[in-house]
Amino acid sequence: MAKKAASPEDFARPVRRLLVGLLVVLLLAIFLFWRIDSPRAERIRAEIIDRVLPGFDWVFLPVTKSVEMLRGFQSYTALYEQNNELRQELQKMRAWKEAALQLEQQNARLLDLNQVRLDPKLTHVTGVVLADSGSPFRQSVLLNVGARDGLRDGWAAMDGIGLVGRISGVGARTARVILLTDASSRVPVVVQPSGQRALLTGDNSIAPPLDFLEKPDLIRPGDRVVTSGDGGMLPAGLLVGSVAQGPDRRLRVILAADYERLEFLRVLRSHGLETIADPGRLVAPAPPSASFVGPMPAPRPVVTEGGAAEASDG
Amino acid sequence: MVDPALREIWQHRAIYVAVAAGLILLRLLPVNTTPGRLPGPDLLLCLTLAWVQRRPDYLPAGLVAAVILAEDLFMLRPPGLWAALTVLGAEFLRSRAALTRELSFLMEWLLIAAVMVVLFLAGRLAHAVMFLPQIGFGYATAQVLASILAYPLVVGLSRVALGVHKPGMGEVDARGRRF
Repeated sequence: MAKKAASPEDFARPVRRLLVGLLVVLLLAIFLFWRIDSPRAERIRAEIIDRVLPGFDWVFLPVTKSVEMLRGFQSYTALYEQNNELRQELQKMRAWKEAALQLEQQNARLLDLNQVRLDPKLTHVTGVVLADSGSPFRQSVLLNVGARDGLRDGWAAMDGIGLVGRISGVGARTARVILLTDASSRVPVVVQPSGQRALLTGDNSIAPPLDFLEKPDLIRPGDRVVTSGDGGMLPAGLLVGSVAQGPDRRLRVILAADYERLEFLRVLRSHGLETIADPGRLVAPAPPSASFVGPMPAPRPVVTEGGAAEASDG
Repeated sequence: MVDPALREIWQHRAIYVAVAAGLILLRLLPVNTTPGRLPGPDLLLCLTLAWVQRRPDYLPAGLVAAVILAEDLFMLRPPGLWAALTVLGAEFLRSRAALTRELSFLMEWLLIAAVMVVLFLAGRLAHAVMFLPQIGFGYATAQVLASILAYPLVVGLSRVALGVHKPGMGEVDARGRRF
């Protein structure tokens, strides 16, 4: 190639600089857009993740399984002892199960006598954990159920035993669960025997601390912590964990859910608690569609079974 | 007939995208959902800086921006901020590639470490200016230190496995210019 007096290289450098500058400005504009209109940007992000990640299902499953298998091999030697222990525990559990069943029947009878209605709408959708947040600074998981399955923001996610987190961000096929351990997670709870209300504040540690306790003296390590239902976000009475005192003498909660292996999560459908916003509605209710007219349906103790069983576990 | 030098460049761009996608997917695997463990190195940053330092022609700024923006999106970071910073850092290294080519590896390592620390501080500053919640300083510093420590490893691996080496004396780029 013959070189001219003014070679293209002389122009290439400033043009390049300009283009790179434009690129950086574009990226910063994206950042600013996110900062200004965060909900919309997060929706776009959820949409993108929703499009991309389920396509990589075939990667996630085998790799995750093989990692778990490797871990399983490490603990292979301990399996025999564990097995024996489990057998003994199973024996004890049988006795407990018997007791629980009797209590449950008794409970159902009493509820029936009292005509108590224990949130019959509390049904659940079960999802499989597809991916986690990927960052050591954020604690969330992605479920393979989404708006398609009727999920909405704010619903509670539990594993078999305790509360795990809250839905935050719903795509068509996926939904993100912010775990209780995430630094932005705040859940109103009540500590059981004393009835003290507090806020469970995630701080990126395995045992999140209790904040805004009125009388910490009334609380002893080992007390049960359940959701209080304040603020209308989560249903009341979901088991969260038990109180423990950390080395810094702060009251923390040992979570009941098994955070070591979050595999299947149950998302509770809670159809927003009714809030009275303006007084006019009280005077003249405007029924949008009269779905049912007539007496209240009979209480359904079947639905409360799960809740009762969980309560007797802890 | 494709020019072998050009083909090599495009091969390496494809490799970069594939490795980045692999790293992101690997971190998304739901194998550890317990919090509180020490954060590992930011391998994608190491890879990007190492490649830009060694072979600036493999990684155009647009590719770096696209890959890191995708990482931003998937890692739930504020989108665009870290991508912009990384592009700036990469361009800083690229504009000095001719000067720093002769440096010993130790000096290169120091240079990269300085760039990483500056990027980290700039990111924190941007968070503070925008009133965004910050990650705990100790945690974040641990990640930067881990990245700095991981850098030689990434350089070695990309040299041995991916064939990314500094251009030799007489080598020319795709357009026939000398480095």
